[in-house]
Amino acid sequence: MAVSQGFKTDLLGAIPSLRAFAVSLAQNADRADDLVQETLVKAWDKHESFQMGTNLKAWLFTILRNEFYSQMRKRGREVQDSEGIMTARLAVHPAQQGQLDLKDFRAALERLPEDQREAIILIGASGFSYEEAAEICGCAVGTIKSRVSRARAKLQEILEISGEDEYGPDAISTQVMASPNS
Amino acid sequence: MKEKNKRESADDVARQRRTGDPLGVNSEVGRKLKQYYDDLVSDEVPDRFAQLLAQLEQAEPSAKKG
Repeated sequence: MAVSQGFKTDLLGAIPSLRAFAVSLAQNADRADDLVQETLVKAWDKHESFQMGTNLKAWLFTILRNEFYSQMRKRGREVQDSEGIMTARLAVHPAQQGQLDLKDFRAALERLPEDQREAIILIGASGFSYEEAAEICGCAVGTIKSRVSRARAKLQEILEISGEDEYGPDAISTQVMASPNS
Repeated sequence: MKEKNKRESADDVARQRRTGDPLGVNSEVGRKLKQYYDDLVSDEVPDRFAQLLAQLEQAEPSAKKG
């Protein structure tokens, strides 16, 4: 069956999100775009296995994530280019408020283990529910919750964020663990 | 594009307020995470992706056989 025009349009529309997720995972702009390219080709080939009416973005994120980990396994772990391509690329952006802040945040994010980083990105930035994130990562909802919680605590620690008493780590863990169906 | 992003993040904010999401607007980590990600999402998409989809479309068996 031919790929429908609607599917193609939806793929195009998903590219900005896919690129953002890919950069978050790979921490390298060139590798991220290669991942997105691979994802689009795979999605195109497998379009018949996509169930219309279900979440295309989640389906695409799953493909991209699988591709990322399969490449990682193939290549072995590479030394992360923390001050390389991404930093250079972003340095040409016009100066904007909070840019320095953002650089610190990016560096902090890079220090997280991949599983925690992807969990906090999916939940805190990509707008997925815990259930969707669990499906994308092929793990239990509780696993996602605990990864998000650990990632958040680690980021707070690295960035030395304090004065969030009512949302402190203890309150968060309690909240997260106490609401399996939220 | 920008408009759409703005609307989506407004929805997220509303959702987080309702659910007491630990990464909501009241959390500094949550705010920075959003800022980091929105910066990436608003990055201009290179032409290579539109070209790739056009190539895939042309390579479709149905396009050749009619």
